[in-house]
Amino acid sequence: MSLHYLLAELRNRPVRAFTGMFSIAIGVALFVSLQAYADGYRQAARAPLTEVGADLTAQRQGTVPSKFEGVVFPHSTAPIRRDEINQIRQLSGVQAVAEVMFFWSFEPGGFVAGLGLDPSDTFGPGRLKADITAGRFLQAGDHGVAVADSTYAQQNKLTLGSIVMLGGQSFTIVGLANTSRAGQLANANLYIPLLDARTLANAAPQVRSVFDIRPDDVNLLFIKTDQTRVDQVAAQIKQILGEKAIVSSGQSFAAELGSLFALIDRFGLLVGLIAFLFAAALLLRVVASSVWERRREVAVMRAVGWRERDVMIQLWGEILVLAIAGGLVGLALAALTTWAMSRSLVTVPVPWELSPSPHFLPGGATAFAVTVALPAHLTLNLVVWALGLSVVVASLIGLWLLRRIAQIHPAEVLSNE
Amino acid sequence: MSDLLQAEKLQKSFGAVQAVREASLWIAPGEIVAVMGRSGSGKTTLLHMLAGLESPTAGKILYRGEDVGRLDEDALALWRRANIGLVFQAFHLIPTLSALENVAFPLYPMQLRAAERRARAEARLAQVGLADRAQHLPSRMSGGEQQRVAIARALVNNPPLIFADEPTGNLDSTTGDEILTLFKKLRNETGAAFLMITHDDKVAAAADRVLKMVDGILQNEKG
Repeated sequence: MSLHYLLAELRNRPVRAFTGMFSIAIGVALFVSLQAYADGYRQAARAPLTEVGADLTAQRQGTVPSKFEGVVFPHSTAPIRRDEINQIRQLSGVQAVAEVMFFWSFEPGGFVAGLGLDPSDTFGPGRLKADITAGRFLQAGDHGVAVADSTYAQQNKLTLGSIVMLGGQSFTIVGLANTSRAGQLANANLYIPLLDARTLANAAPQVRSVFDIRPDDVNLLFIKTDQTRVDQVAAQIKQILGEKAIVSSGQSFAAELGSLFALIDRFGLLVGLIAFLFAAALLLRVVASSVWERRREVAVMRAVGWRERDVMIQLWGEILVLAIAGGLVGLALAALTTWAMSRSLVTVPVPWELSPSPHFLPGGATAFAVTVALPAHLTLNLVVWALGLSVVVASLIGLWLLRRIAQIHPAEVLSNE
Repeated sequence: MSDLLQAEKLQKSFGAVQAVREASLWIAPGEIVAVMGRSGSGKTTLLHMLAGLESPTAGKILYRGEDVGRLDEDALALWRRANIGLVFQAFHLIPTLSALENVAFPLYPMQLRAAERRARAEARLAQVGLADRAQHLPSRMSGGEQQRVAIARALVNNPPLIFADEPTGNLDSTTGDEILTLFKKLRNETGAAFLMITHDDKVAAAADRVLKMVDGILQNEKG
């Protein structure tokens, strides 16, 4: 193949070269941008979980108590037994489990959402220790102390050292936390030691009235898994917890993102491929008209001693250069598009059952959400895909070209008679 | 002197049309042969068969005693590359390449170093008097200059045999004369034989030997 001739052709036929290259560029840009957009949304959907360092949450649908007095479990939760937790811990792919006790407390002074957690956990609500704005976080061995959500504290005029009542027991506020990010899953007003929460639940008549509560039960699990086994682990947990299991993952959050994302997620690859095929058809059209325009040139090549494969390699080289250049330009366009997309914000709603608040109270059923910048970016995988597709298209057109060249008979084309 | 090329009873039919009914000829090294005939007499078809661009319906073509008809398309291309130069009435230069690049065009598929390719093309371009036009595109050259470039391209591989199809057909009388003079000069310098297809008496007059083509039949005339 003569690079000199190839470059001369591309340089001296700029409209054709530009049309061929640009058609592929648009196809690649569309294909890559759509995939980056869908990938970005998939990643954004995981934000509520990644903010707390977990991959899954597990709970079990509960029962509504007859009265809302004292401590009750939100009806999106029910006790999870010790043996069930142990089974989950032993599942292949499970790396760690954080146990949590979520509860509502209807006190004479008002409603409180409470969460019992193990302060030694490095993920799940334990992540809140990084969001302490005043005082300290819970510590191992703590008893009768609480960390308050700073907004809740402000509304209720609570400060460090204030006493709050939960289920008839007093708790001293030792810290204030900004729960706007890590606290959006199981969003609570007060965070207390897990042991205290268990004690409250076991002593609560409205919990005992609907559940056979045991001292080492919890009602919400945050689970870290091997990234390649998230879906399998989720399925196994559902089996362990039974038909009332609620297992949330990035996928289930994605379902909250609405129909636009669902469409892109489902059809993004297909639409991207169709866009790419359309671009390939445009390139084919450019090549076809080029071969037609250049049939005299091809005939001259054959007449002066170029073999069929010499001609084919030369013209295929041109297509390949156009396709790869188009692919690179398309990637540059896609990089611009994804950069622009990454400037936009995505609000991922947290399903009610993961941050339940009572519907029947004024301002109840608060909708929680995590807002993040759309993490759209070009991955090496996408770049390889785009360039690979460009080369495949060029190769297929090259095969077609071989047939067209074979149909050019120099004697017919060059004849003057 | 043994013949360079010999054709025996060539025939070519396109469906029911017999373009060449019977053509036998020989070409000796270094001679200039003209095939004259009216438009449609079959002379271009004859040239295409002799150059291996068209396969004869019947008959045989021997090049230095070897039967060219046995070669497949690729082998014919290589045979042309090594032994045949072609000059067309319409020049058929590559519009995107400079004069020098057009001359080097037959060398592109060969494994030659760029410097050698360039040197060979420059030498041929100088031989046809266009050394100073090397970087010009065909669109910036006159018809006579384009035909000189085409002749240099035909000569770049030092072929012993040049086929020229109406080489002065697109040129004015003066330029046509210059091209014929150039053919003679090149024959003397390179020892190549020339077979020219023409309907122009002036071209025929420049040949050592003239053959006449009438309705597909080649008639030998006295040289």
